[in-house]
Amino acid sequence: MKDNYIPEVDVTTDKIKISARNVQVYYGENHAIKDVSVEIQDKTVTAFIGPSGCGKSTFLRCINRMNDTIDICRVEGDILIDGEDIYDRNVDPVQLRAKVGMVFQKPNPFPKSIYDNVAYGPRIHGLARNKTELDEIVERALKRAAIWNEVKDRLQAPGTGLSGGQQQRLCIARAIATEPEVLLMDEPCSALDPIATAQVEELIDELRQDYSVVIVTHSMQQAARVSQKTAFFHLGHLVEYGETDKIFTSPEDPRTESYITGRIG
Amino acid sequence: MTDMPNATPKNSLLRQDARTVKRNRAETRFKAYGIAAISVGLLMLVILLVTIIGRGTGAFQQTFLTLDVQLLEAKLDKKGNRDLQDIKKVSTFGYAPLMAAALEKKVAESAVESDLKPKEMAALLSKDAAAQLRDFVLENTDLIGTSVQFRFLTNSRVDGYMKGRVTRESIANDKNINAAQLDLVDALVKDGALEKRFNLAFITGADASDARPEAAGMGVSMIGSLFMMLVVLALALPIGVAASIYLEEFAPKNLITDIIEVNISNLAAVPSIVFGILGLAVFINYMHLPNSAPLVGGLVLTLMTLPTIIISTRASLKSVPPSIRDAALGVGASKMQSVFHHVLPLAAPGILTGTIIGLAQALGETAPLLLIGMVGFIASNPPDGIASGLMDPNSAMPAQIYEWAKRADPAFYERAWGGIIILLVFLVTMNAIAVMLRRRFERRW
Repeated sequence: MKDNYIPEVDVTTDKIKISARNVQVYYGENHAIKDVSVEIQDKTVTAFIGPSGCGKSTFLRCINRMNDTIDICRVEGDILIDGEDIYDRNVDPVQLRAKVGMVFQKPNPFPKSIYDNVAYGPRIHGLARNKTELDEIVERALKRAAIWNEVKDRLQAPGTGLSGGQQQRLCIARAIATEPEVLLMDEPCSALDPIATAQVEELIDELRQDYSVVIVTHSMQQAARVSQKTAFFHLGHLVEYGETDKIFTSPEDPRTESYITGRIG
Repeated sequence: MTDMPNATPKNSLLRQDARTVKRNRAETRFKAYGIAAISVGLLMLVILLVTIIGRGTGAFQQTFLTLDVQLLEAKLDKKGNRDLQDIKKVSTFGYAPLMAAALEKKVAESAVESDLKPKEMAALLSKDAAAQLRDFVLENTDLIGTSVQFRFLTNSRVDGYMKGRVTRESIANDKNINAAQLDLVDALVKDGALEKRFNLAFITGADASDARPEAAGMGVSMIGSLFMMLVVLALALPIGVAASIYLEEFAPKNLITDIIEVNISNLAAVPSIVFGILGLAVFINYMHLPNSAPLVGGLVLTLMTLPTIIISTRASLKSVPPSIRDAALGVGASKMQSVFHHVLPLAAPGILTGTIIGLAQALGETAPLLLIGMVGFIASNPPDGIASGLMDPNSAMPAQIYEWAKRADPAFYERAWGGIIILLVFLVTMNAIAVMLRRRFERRW
């Protein structure tokens, strides 16, 4: 594990996928996200780093409106995906979430078979016309999530019976089975051991070819390894955003530097 | 210390200090209290079970007298055409002489010495015996004109004598039976004609009037309870589950839902008789549903069971980890899809358990039935069909037990205990099913 390896920056496109402008998030009285503006590029891995409680997960959950499920949560400002305001009154969050997939911190497969876990999304969105097509989608998603070889002989076994790392890759397969355009990952490796983490990281790097990936992580090494762009959050503010190697080698803001060098966090 | 190598150090771990000793003693004491409490509880349970079984099992046995009866055509079918309508015209008074004759013959044949008049002999048989025979003949008209061996119910005093409830001393002031009749009973027992047997009619039969406790059974009130439970299940389960899903998953958390929540919890603690008087006012006086109908009983018990079902359903919905909801929403399922595809199936065992416990509670409920007229002597035959089962006057198991317990004849008292055994068997079975379902479908995360 080359912890200090920083990948070459090879941002393949400059197209802006997600654009946030002056986003404010309140949990009741608590002002959790303060005036965050950020532009996230397509086909890029963007990492959100920062100390616990800094609002990076909250901001991530704004991108697919998962915060809608929290009653006291209120979002102000605009978040645009492909130029469309996702908080527009005409936007159905269900449609949005099909376009913006999410992988959670704790692996959370449905207590169903491996096959049904992956097939659930395509089924409810009507992506497959028949069983053969569905089989193909499931196989493709499992292959892309690099778990196909481990589970191909037991697709009907329960997803909850897999190991932690396998479960997380199953969740990634489930998220990409619906063909999203953006993949949000909320500390996807925090519950995994180093080997499983390495597998997932490798996977994230591959997924970049097709998706815009936004990953929240506590591990700065991980951010450095997998991302091309990094955003540093602190106390609800977006402190610094830029090319990953620049953030890690010559940060502009003293707070970023303190965090990266381990003085705050 | 160096000159005393064998002395223990001041803070030795090998010796408990005063504080530890005190703490340990307190713990031992507390454990003893716990064991004492459990022992008292267990003792009570054993006393309860022993009493119930000891007093109730007698109800499942009944004394029968086996006689050969001549079904005389001249008496039962005067026209001789075996027309059911004509045979039905002969009332039980037409059958009584046949039985008396059969008994007289039996006494004569078995060489039992008895000075009793035929009428006094016939008094050994139950007042229900003639009706028993009539029912039998109406079902088997082709047997008219032949002689059949028939097992007659005996009078409850004879039954009591066989079970030790009635003794020769206790009949001194009893007008219903005398010593000479008991002599005849002894003789008939020796002969083998009179014996105690398992009494299926207690489980399947209908209630009987004060004068014939030996004929009373639980069957019809069981059917009444069954219809009430069907009403409760059909109404309380869907309403309760729908209300819980809405409150738990969809409703905004605000003052109104808070008030509703508090009120549902309070409703679960409302005395059941309040629901009874509500049922009387709304269902009977206002909506003019019939008195004593299992439909009304079911509606009242539905009101009573709803809070139980709602509370347990909400608890089991709450116990489904939020990560499952997130997972479903994350792949683009709608709220409803996430609830019905993922949350509800996982909560189902808990919901089922809660429902069964609620039903068991409703099954044993008596107080609300008092007010809607389901407690009392309701002489009814088993209903024919669902509509009659719902609308015709009927009783329920606990109401039947209460009714028997308050009657004067000690023979009914025995039947009340027997009824309790039947009710408990139902309750234990339902609870066992609930436990089984929980075990079977419980999921580990």
